[in-house]
Amino acid sequence: MFSQTIDFIQKIGATFLENIQEMGRMFLFLWDVALSFVTPPFRWTNLLKQIHFIGIRSLFVIALTAIFAGMVLALQGYYTLSRFGSEALLGPAVALSIIRELGPVLSGLMVTGRAGSALTAELGIMRIREQIDALDVMGIPPLKYLITPRVEAGLIIMPLLTVIFDVIGILGGYLVAVRLLGMSSGTYFGGIESAVEMRDIVTGLIKSVSFGLIVTWVCTYKGYYTRRGAEGVSQSTTSAVVMSSVLILVCDYFITSIML
Amino acid sequence: MTGQAIYMDSSLAGGTTLSLGRQLVANGCVTENQLDRALRKQQNDHPTAGNNEHLVGRTLVDLGYISQSALLDCLFSQFSREREAYRADTGETPIIHLKQVVKILDGRRVLDAIDIAIPAKRVTAIIGMSGGGKSVILKHMVGLMRPTQGEVRVGEHLLGALSPRQLAQVRRRFSFLFQGGALFDSLNVYDNVAFPLREKTDWSESVIHDRVMRCLEEVNLFGMERKFPDELSGGMMKRAALARALVTDPEILLLDEPTAGLDPIIENAIHYLICDTYMRTRYTMVIISHAVPEIFRWCHHVIALHKGKVLFSGPSTEIGQSRNPVIRQFISGDIDGPIQVI
Repeated sequence: MFSQTIDFIQKIGATFLENIQEMGRMFLFLWDVALSFVTPPFRWTNLLKQIHFIGIRSLFVIALTAIFAGMVLALQGYYTLSRFGSEALLGPAVALSIIRELGPVLSGLMVTGRAGSALTAELGIMRIREQIDALDVMGIPPLKYLITPRVEAGLIIMPLLTVIFDVIGILGGYLVAVRLLGMSSGTYFGGIESAVEMRDIVTGLIKSVSFGLIVTWVCTYKGYYTRRGAEGVSQSTTSAVVMSSVLILVCDYFITSIML
Repeated sequence: MTGQAIYMDSSLAGGTTLSLGRQLVANGCVTENQLDRALRKQQNDHPTAGNNEHLVGRTLVDLGYISQSALLDCLFSQFSREREAYRADTGETPIIHLKQVVKILDGRRVLDAIDIAIPAKRVTAIIGMSGGGKSVILKHMVGLMRPTQGEVRVGEHLLGALSPRQLAQVRRRFSFLFQGGALFDSLNVYDNVAFPLREKTDWSESVIHDRVMRCLEEVNLFGMERKFPDELSGGMMKRAALARALVTDPEILLLDEPTAGLDPIIENAIHYLICDTYMRTRYTMVIISHAVPEIFRWCHHVIALHKGKVLFSGPSTEIGQSRNPVIRQFISGDIDGPIQVI
C-alpha cells in the first residue's frame, strides 16, 4: 500500500516535471523564432505562400462562421432585449459582442481547425520523413525556413481575418434584425455607430494578433517535434488543436480582464 | 576544352588514378579515336558541362562504341582493382573520427564507447543488425545528433565545439542520402534537386538548370524532372535523392541504406551508380547497408557493428576471413549462431 502511494506520487511528480520541461521547450522555441524574425535571409515568397495558406484559404470558413454567428446573435439578442423593451440596443449588442469577443475568438478557433491542424500535420510528416533533417544537413536552418514564415503569416493575417469576420458578422445580424424581424436599418446601424469606440476595435485586434501567435506557435511547435511515425503525427495534430483552442479561450479571458 | 583535358590524371591519396576516359582506353573498352570523337561530341552537345567525365561515358554509349553494361563493368573492374589494393593501416588521418562515442537514447546505450575512423576518398560500408545504431552513427557524423560522451571530428573540426554557424559551414562538406529519400513532397524532382543550389548559392537559374539536368542525367532520371515524389517508384526516389545529394558537389557523401526495400535488379543498378559516382568524383562515401555480402564488392573499408560496439573495422577484402562468430553469422545469414532472432 505504502509503495503504491509512493509510486502514485512519483508519477504525479514526473508528469509535473515533464509539463514544466515541455513549457520551457515551447518558450525556447518561441524565443528562437522571435530571433529569426530579424535574421536574414528574408524569404518573402515563403511568407506570401503562408499568408495565402493560412489567410486566403480560410476566408470561406471565416465568412460562413461570421454570418451565422451574427445571425444567431441577433436572433437571441432580439428576444432577450424585447423582454425589457430595449430592441433598439440590438445593433450595439451584436456589434460589441462580435468586435470585442466573437470575432477574434471564433476566427482563432476556425483558423486553428482549418490551418493550424494542417500546419502541424505537414511539419510532423516532414519530421518523420526526415525532410527537416535534410534541411539541416543542407545547412538551411529549418526553424528559419519552415517556422518563421508561418508564425509571421499568422501574426499578419489574423487581424485581417478578424476584421472580415466582424464586418460579415454585423451584416449577418443586420439580415436577421432588419430583414427578418423588421427593425429599421437606421436604428441598427445608428446604434452601432454611437456605441462602438475605437478602444473596442483595438481590443479585438490585440486579441486577434495574440491568437494568431498562439495558433501558429503551438501548431508549428507540435509539428516540428513530432515523433513516432504516423501515430505521432495524429497525436501531435490532436494535441495542437486542443492546446491552441484552450489557450485562445484562456488568453481571451486575461486580455479581456486587462482591457476592460 | 580540348580532348586532352579529360586525360589529365587526378591524384588520390595512396596512389594515382586515371580519369574515366583514360581508364576506358587503358582497359581496352574503347580506342583513343573513339574517345576523341566522344569528347568532341560532348563539347558540342554540352558546351557548359565542363570536364564532366560521366558524360564521356554516356556519349560513348550514345555513339555505340560501348554498351551501357560494358561501361559499368569497366568502371567496376577498375574499382575492384583499387579495392583489392586498399590497405587500412596507411597512417593517413581519417576524414571523420568518432572517438569513444557513447549515445544513450531513451535509456538504451545505442553506441557503447565506439571508435570509428572513416578514411578519406574511400567508400566505407557500415553493416550490422537493424536497430544497432548505424543511422545514429551517420547522424553523429553530420552533427544531427550529439554524443552523450566522446567526440566527433570532421577533419580538424570538433563538432561539439562548433557554433551553429560553424557547424553549417562544416555541413557544406556533406551530402546525405536519407533512407526514405527525404524529398520534399511539395516540389517536383527538378525543384527538389535544384533546392540546395537555390537556397545556398547565388547562381543564376540557367546555371542551376544546367547543373540539375546534368545530375538528373547522371542518375538516369532525365525526362522525369516534372514528376512529384509520390509519382516515383522506390528506385527512382532513391536516384532523385542521390541527384540532390550530388548536385552540391560534396566532399563527403553519406548514404543511409540506399538499396533498402528495392528489388535485386534496382539494388544492383544503385550499386553500379554509386560505384560510377565514386569513380568520377572520388568523394568520401559512407554507406549503411544490409546487402551483405554484396556490399563488400562495392566498398574499400567495412565497419561491422553489434550491440553498440565495433566488431570489425578494416578492408572489405579481409572481413571474409574474420573468425568472429557474429560477423560469420551476419555474412552467412544463418539463423543459428550467437545472434538469436527466433
